[in-house]
Parts: sequence; C-alpha cells; structure tokens
Amino acid sequence: MNKKAYYGEFGGQYVAESLMNTLEELDAAFEEAIRDPEFLKQYHYYLKQYVGRETPLYYAERLSGEYGMKIYLKREDLNHTGAHKINNVIGQILLAKRMGKTKVIAETGAGQHGVATATGAALFDMECTVYMGAEDIKRQALNVMRMEMLGAKVVSVTSGSNTLKDATNEAIRTWAKTAEDTFYVIGSAVGPYPYPKMVKEFQSVISREAKKQILEAEGRLPDVVMACVGGGSNSIGMFADFIEEKDVKLIGVEAAGKGIETGEHASAMALGEPGVLHGMRSYLLQDEDGNVQLAHSISAGLDYPGVGPEHAYLKDSGRAEYTSITDVEAMDALMELCKVEGIIPAIESAHAVAYVKKYAKELKEKLGEEKAKEQIAVVCLSGRGDKDVNTIADYLAGKGYLN
Amino acid sequence: MNRIEARMETCRQKQEKAFITYITAGLPDLAATKEIIKAQERGGCDVVELGVPFSDPVADGPVIQDASYRAICGGVNVKKIFGMMEELRAEGVEVPIVFMMYYNTVLHYGVEAFVKKCNETGVDGLIIPDLPFEEQEEIQRYLKQSDDTILIQLVSPVSAERIPKILDGARGFVYCVSSMGVTGQGADFHKEVKSYLKKVKEATELPVMMGFGIRTAEDVAPMKELIDGAIVGSYFIQLLEKQDFAPQAAEEYCAAFRKELNR
Repeated sequence: MNKKAYYGEFGGQYVAESLMNTLEELDAAFEEAIRDPEFLKQYHYYLKQYVGRETPLYYAERLSGEYGMKIYLKREDLNHTGAHKINNVIGQILLAKRMGKTKVIAETGAGQHGVATATGAALFDMECTVYMGAEDIKRQALNVMRMEMLGAKVVSVTSGSNTLKDATNEAIRTWAKTAEDTFYVIGSAVGPYPYPKMVKEFQSVISREAKKQILEAEGRLPDVVMACVGGGSNSIGMFADFIEEKDVKLIGVEAAGKGIETGEHASAMALGEPGVLHGMRSYLLQDEDGNVQLAHSISAGLDYPGVGPEHAYLKDSGRAEYTSITDVEAMDALMELCKVEGIIPAIESAHAVAYVKKYAKELKEKLGEEKAKEQIAVVCLSGRGDKDVNTIADYLAGKGYLN
Repeated sequence: MNRIEARMETCRQKQEKAFITYITAGLPDLAATKEIIKAQERGGCDVVELGVPFSDPVADGPVIQDASYRAICGGVNVKKIFGMMEELRAEGVEVPIVFMMYYNTVLHYGVEAFVKKCNETGVDGLIIPDLPFEEQEEIQRYLKQSDDTILIQLVSPVSAERIPKILDGARGFVYCVSSMGVTGQGADFHKEVKSYLKKVKEATELPVMMGFGIRTAEDVAPMKELIDGAIVGSYFIQLLEKQDFAPQAAEEYCAAFRKELNR
C-alpha cells in the first residue's frame, strides 16, 4: 500500500497496471513543480493576469440583513471562464507542458471544466479533447459551442448513463491508451492519487486569499466556511487553509436533488457507502449489487455519485460536516441572491447559499438575534449562473416561480 | 494444489500452449452461460475467464462494456453468479474458472465474505484490473489463507521496472496485456511487445499468457516463442453473439484455436 496516497482509509490508486508508472511520474513531476519558485511564479502570473485573481471577498450586506448573520461571498464567479475550475486547469496544464506532453484530455459534466480546459489548452497551445456524456451535450449546448470555439474536440460518450461518470470512464480509458503523450486534466478533487492532492493544491488559492481578506475586513477568522460539494474541488480549495484553524467550522453542501428519501439525489456522503470508482476509494452511491447508482441534481456540476477522498476523510474524522440541499431550496436561494444582491450564481453555488440561510436561522434560534448577527460566514460562490439560464428558465416555467 | 496451477502444470508437461476464453456471465442469461462454459471445457479450454458485470468497467472496450450492461439489465449479480458456480461444480465441470471483475463488487460484498464464497463455490482465481499491486494487500490477506482461489497478476507493456515486484510471489499464470488501453482493440499490439514479453519471461517461471485484442491463433504466431498461451475475450463474445450463443460455436472455436496454437 502506498500510504501517502491515502486520506485515512480513503483515496489510493485503483487503476490499471498500465497507468501506475504514469501516476508515479506525475506525482514526482507535481511534487517537484510545486517546490520550484519558477513554476509557482508562472502559475501565479497567469492567475493574476489571465484569470483575474485575486477575487473579491464580498460582504453581502443585504443578504446578511435578510438571513441574520454576516455573510461574505468568495467571488469565484468573477474568474475568467466563470468559475473556480480555471485555477486548477492553469496549474495542471502548466505541469503538463513542463512534463513535455502535447495533448490534454478532460471529462466534463456541465461543461465548466471542459470550457476551462479548452481555454487553458488554447492559451498554452495544446491539443485538447473533452469527453462529455451524450445526455449532457444535449443539456449544455452552449458550453459545447464554447469548447469548440476554443479549438477543443468534444467527444460524445454514449455508454452507461451517458453522463459525467461515463465521460470520466471514457477519459480514463483513453488516458490508459495514450498516457505516453497525453495529460489527463481532472477537474474535481477525485481520481487516483496524486489527483486529489493536486486539485487541492491548485484550488487552495481560494482559501489562502479568503483568509487574508477576512482578517483584513473583520480582524478575525470566520465562524463558519461553506461550499457546495459535487466531486469537491471548490470546497476543498475553500477549506484548505482553514482546516488547521480548529475554531472555524467547515460545512460541505451536497445536492439532495428531489430529496434524499426519494433516492434521486447526489449526496454520496448522506447514504453512500465506501466504494471504488474512478481510481479512488471513497463514499459512493451504489445499488444493492454494488453497481454505481445514478446521481440526480438539477445542477449538472453536482450530479456525481462519488466524492473526493479527502472529503470522506474530513467527514469521518469529524473535522468537516456535510449536509445537503434540495433542487427546490437551491433554486429559491438562487432567485433570492439575484434579487437581493444582483448576482446570478451557478446552481451549484446556490446550494451553499441555500444552506447559509438555514444555518443562520438555526443560529438565531440558538444564540438569539443579536448574537447571531455577529457571527461570520464565508461562502464560496464557486461560479456564475450564465450557463444555467436555460435550466433556470425550464425550472421556472414548470413551477411558475416568477408569476 | 490450486486448479489453475494444476492445469498449467499439465500443459507444461505436455509441452502445450494454454488457451483461455472470456465471457461475460449472464450474456444472454445465466442458463446460457452455464452451457457455454461446458462447451468451452469440451473444446479444450484450459481456463475459463468469467466476467462479473459491473456498471463502470473502465478496463474494457465497447464489446465487453455492452455485454456487462446487458447482463446487468438482465438482473445478473455476483450472488447469482456464485449460485451458478455451485451448480456447475455439482454437475461435474472441472475446468478452472477465474472471475474477471472490478474491485467495487468485492468491496460491496465484503472482502472476507467474498473470498470465502469464492473458496466454497470453486472460483479458482481472480483477475481484478483496477487493483494494481499496491492495493492488493487487503484481499491477499484472505486469499492467502487457502490454495482454493488465487489472484492473477497483470502486467502491461509499460510495467518495466515494476515487473519483478509484481511477479514476486505471483501464482497461476501472468496475464500479459498486449497493448495499452482497454480490451478488444484488435491485434494492434504495443510496438515493444516482444521485448516486453521477453522481460516478463526472464522475471518469472510462471506461464506467460497474452491477452487483449487477440482474435485468432495467427495473431499471436509472431510471439509464439515468448508466450505460453493466449487469452481471447471481446472477439469470442462477438463470435458467440453472431451465432446466437450456440454452445456448439463456443466448443468449435476453442478446439480450433487451441489446435492451431499447438501446431
């Protein structure tokens, strides 16, 4: 057993023998790169000049008033390409270049990671192929168009459920075949080691900035930090620098879809049992035969049956709490944020916003209104909602929300 | 002695090359699978590789993906496959049988309980493509308690310096993957396939079996001196499919391939 590949009992490298040397090379190259000041300089240069970091930690004053606690939004939605995904892509593609690879492949669900990878590939002149489930291609036509404009080839995956998990399977298969010249850019904090570590490293810029910003704004650390969890990349980035700060509560918000009790959800931590998928051992939604169950969420980015291994560990060790928010709660929060703050969040991010509302309410009951008002929450607004406008329109039409 | 090891030893003494075929359990249903396994035995197959269908078979190409998907839709699961194994052994089927499966199926069943059930039902070996050497400790702890079920080691064209480590203590035979990637890509073997097979041969006394992309005995003819046998999966499934899973077709194909392999 490769001990460093594990977070407690989670993680590992459950891949074909033909990928083991590839992972070892990747691990060595990654560890060397993040200790090389030149590499870090380059990475931070592109984050600043190209991605537009640092992103603001915005005090959402009106939302705070409505909900009854101090709410700061970490504005990852203001990044180039509209979400936190690009932070990781810049890091991984710089690493790919350094390793002499000429091609990159990626999986994508909603298309955000695909767009970010296509963007990075265009910027660094790499050939890019994105695997996307046939079902998602239909749902996310706009992002398919964006990827193609950026020069990527989008491959429609028609196996299994035709969604993100199948696109990931196909990317892994292709990678096993072509690893000699191809770098697999994984978008979430999942996959075989060192991917979960790598994604965390490149996303931890979120919490590094947020910690500094909240100290400047409030002179103290927040009481609670929240982020939505699909595979867990924005949340692990949002948690990273706060994990050692034991007084800061960490809360990950999964998608409860139509409700955990309906079985149509994407909360691997709520009902999942440990399992192995996509090269890692972690909590996994599976049926009574041990086959992987389809996840459901109105948000394509949270629609994943597994979760990153470090999250599984943070849950089991008690350092972080995981909860879930239904489709309806998320959509209500989304509309509320639009109206109160003039921010259209991604449906993924709206899950975190929905939970802060619940959390503040409980706080008020527990501490009383005055004390609750002094409590500080930092919420990761992982992406903007432009990509979701069609989904939102369909949802509203069905529900008649605006009438 | 383990059933696979006994059969491999017989092949060695007779100076024959071994032949292994793969089918997905439950394609088109478990009753048919039983008849096909019996036909494989009659055709002279040395080991039957039996695929336990899983929802996310990342080491497999389109043919076996599709076969697994259909078997799952037909309601096949590992418990029913164990049931079939019991019947086969009770009916006198003696051919060594290995499960080709993914690790989640084992974990979900419970590793210890799974190994015990394999021991009891006459599963002679396991091939788990998403369980590389570094992750095998957990299952080996239980497998090593008896000779009944052994773990078959896979090596790939890029395993290189990993080969000695993987093969130290390996049993049964070595499964040499012929090319990078997944099953059923055709006989487009890795460019370094010969030097790689040579490396494996040097590292072990075990029979070297080559698989992935093989269709006919002719495909492996250039490597004949370097291997002790061949494994056919996707092509065998396609062939059976065309003949409506007739046991006769399985028997004839196995007999012809094995004969050709040993000509």
